[in-house]
Amino acid sequence: MSMKSYIAKRLLHTILIAWGVMTAAFFLMRIGPHSPADKYLATLGAGHNVSQVAAAIESRYGVDRPLYEQYFTYITSLLHGDWGWSFSTSMPVSDLIRTHWVYSFQLILLSSIVAILLGITIGIFSAARKNTTADHITTFFSFAGISIPNFWLGMMLILIFSVKLGWFKTYYDTGLPMFSLSNLYALILPVMTLATGMMAGYSRYVRSSMLENMNKDYVRTARAKGLPESIVLRRHVFRNALLPVVTIIMLDMSGIFFGGAYITEVIFGIPGLGWMSLKAVFSDDYSVVLAVTLIGAFVTLFFNLVADIAYTYLDPRIRYE
Amino acid sequence: MSMCGKAALLSAGIGLSGCLEASKDKSTNLTSGVSKLGGTFIDGASGADAETLNWILAADATSLGYIGLALDGLITYDNKFNIVNRWLKNDIRTSDDGLSYTVTISDDLFWSDGKPVTADDFVYTMKNLMFSDWMAYTYAGDWMEEIDGKSVYVEPVAENETTFTIHRKTVDPEFLYTVTDLLVYPKHIVSKYEGDVKAFTQAPELNNLSYTGNLGPYRYKEWIRNDKIVMERNPDYYLGKQNGEPYFEEYVIKIFGTSAARHAAMEAGDITSTGIDPEQVMKFKAIPTIQVFTIPTSGYRVLQYNMRDNGWPGLREKKVRQALSMAISKEKIIQQILLGFGEPAFSFIPKVSPWYDEAGLSMFGIGTLYDKNRAKQLMKEAGYGIEKNGEIQVVDKNGGKIKFNFVTITGSAVHESMAYLIKQELGDIGIDVDIKFVPWETILRKYYMNKVPGSDQPERNNNGPRSVSEEPWDLIYA
Repeated sequence: MSMKSYIAKRLLHTILIAWGVMTAAFFLMRIGPHSPADKYLATLGAGHNVSQVAAAIESRYGVDRPLYEQYFTYITSLLHGDWGWSFSTSMPVSDLIRTHWVYSFQLILLSSIVAILLGITIGIFSAARKNTTADHITTFFSFAGISIPNFWLGMMLILIFSVKLGWFKTYYDTGLPMFSLSNLYALILPVMTLATGMMAGYSRYVRSSMLENMNKDYVRTARAKGLPESIVLRRHVFRNALLPVVTIIMLDMSGIFFGGAYITEVIFGIPGLGWMSLKAVFSDDYSVVLAVTLIGAFVTLFFNLVADIAYTYLDPRIRYE
Repeated sequence: MSMCGKAALLSAGIGLSGCLEASKDKSTNLTSGVSKLGGTFIDGASGADAETLNWILAADATSLGYIGLALDGLITYDNKFNIVNRWLKNDIRTSDDGLSYTVTISDDLFWSDGKPVTADDFVYTMKNLMFSDWMAYTYAGDWMEEIDGKSVYVEPVAENETTFTIHRKTVDPEFLYTVTDLLVYPKHIVSKYEGDVKAFTQAPELNNLSYTGNLGPYRYKEWIRNDKIVMERNPDYYLGKQNGEPYFEEYVIKIFGTSAARHAAMEAGDITSTGIDPEQVMKFKAIPTIQVFTIPTSGYRVLQYNMRDNGWPGLREKKVRQALSMAISKEKIIQQILLGFGEPAFSFIPKVSPWYDEAGLSMFGIGTLYDKNRAKQLMKEAGYGIEKNGEIQVVDKNGGKIKFNFVTITGSAVHESMAYLIKQELGDIGIDVDIKFVPWETILRKYYMNKVPGSDQPERNNNGPRSVSEEPWDLIYA
């Protein structure tokens, strides 16, 4: 099977799985005990006719119709490019995602770049200096990075660098031009918050993967040939050690895209998709939850595909036949 | 009338405002009555963002708060709860028989396209939108009255360009407050959406307030969901002629994900104003650049006793209700839970109201009427106590321990603390309390709505003395 046919097959699988996930989400949300009317009822005084109000609101949002009818209406609209109306934000879901994805994307992209570059560098450094003081120090900080919860780290960074030192604004300012140094500057604390845990994790994976490969025969052979240690590490050990790390990074990426950045978004007031999805879940905003679920499924499957393809480039022995 | 006994407690809210140099200048100008103000006012809020700017669809206070920046409404209140006319030309006139309310609006109100706001706009908004079946307006019930067992809408009629009258068939003293909450849509714009709830819900001019003309101090500029709404000064504001332009060039409401982040922003000076909880007051008062204001509110907290058939039978006896109210200290609640930001209340009419009258009010829960021994004595007199070794033991008619089913709202620290304090207070006179935390909408659906068992009545707030809620309860604090 050629790479093209393999990718085509995987894309078809991706569409089928995403449809399955979306269908499951659709029915699970609607058979739950909540209703979009609940938030209206919660604001009513005790003197109102709750049943009548609830029925009227459910009718307004079309959730009073039979489930199969709602499902087919949704699928038909989706095929026509209509993602529905978000009643917790009063705008079309497509506009909502178009406006907000960029805030999540820039945060995730920058955090991932920082985490991958630093995590791999620290991992290699630590493995090359196994059981030295430097290794112990990096190990200590890696475990600290993994253990510290995002919300605590974010708040501490705000208190130290924003409140006490006044170097940064306490929240992300959406008024800044997207492609500007001031925007990059404003993202420093959120990126530090999100990247710390990822970076610490990657450094541990890289370190252990490197150490595992360092004892392999081909490494011993490379050293026996008289190759400098830096070349042995870079060309022989690192390239092989990268395979499992790539899988982990790709799974991480899809997880973050799927809402894993929401804690950082909430702390720094970044109106990204993570925070938006969370709010939609609590507001029973079906259209937004379904859209985010669908996108999340596609992104997860996409990164899995990217990981598989990356394998073939990292290890020429792997072929999809 | 609801079949609930009620013990009331008045509370106060707390506001906090930054006191920067610019704020001091603003204060000076405010007192002179001439606005020379500028800059951006950033109000920090946390929790959920508004859901809509299309006011008839709004169910949350945040949405109505945003809308209020662009639409003044008929009246507002000053800090002493006095009514101050806004769109009204003069006070609402109530007929001598209490059945007609005549509203006259100012003749200098305009929509964004320059067309005048008319009485016909108000009548259209009520009859064709608020009272329509297709719209399903959440608060439509406020505009209904019971006639021959049927709920019917009140009848608004336009008298002339600026005057309309709302006719009722029954007297309701609270209806005046319903009228004062009235907002309006431009008939010539919204009529094209009539009957189509989807089109109305998604209408861009209604969702971005582009029709609001000179009806409020600010105009919509930008709304980034879950981030901020930016309103800009409205140079055409109808009150601008008398009082100068609105104070700020921009009024921003910034949403924070957590109150900790919001408080940090206040401390760092990144926002101008935000609300704080009672326990934060001392901390913020100690910061020299921040000024803390206490803003009174007219809200009250009520413990309700279920006198219906699915409540403990003793609650139907006045002496028992008085005994319970005598066993719960309102001062303790204010000091220990509200940290002093509240005052005891004994009536639903706020103290600042001209109709408030303390004559004849029994002030249960404070002073001599907070007395647990007397409470026990009252319970005994009502048949719910026995004397043993010179002490009164509170028991039910069979000599067993009395146990109350106490329902309160989930997710609120104040409600939780209040529930445990009441449990402790009633425990002191020998009554056990089981606390159940449920969401407010569940309280509405399962604990307030009622019907006579076995009947085909639709569930309502009050279906008569024999009706009961789906779930039994004895006390509710909601």
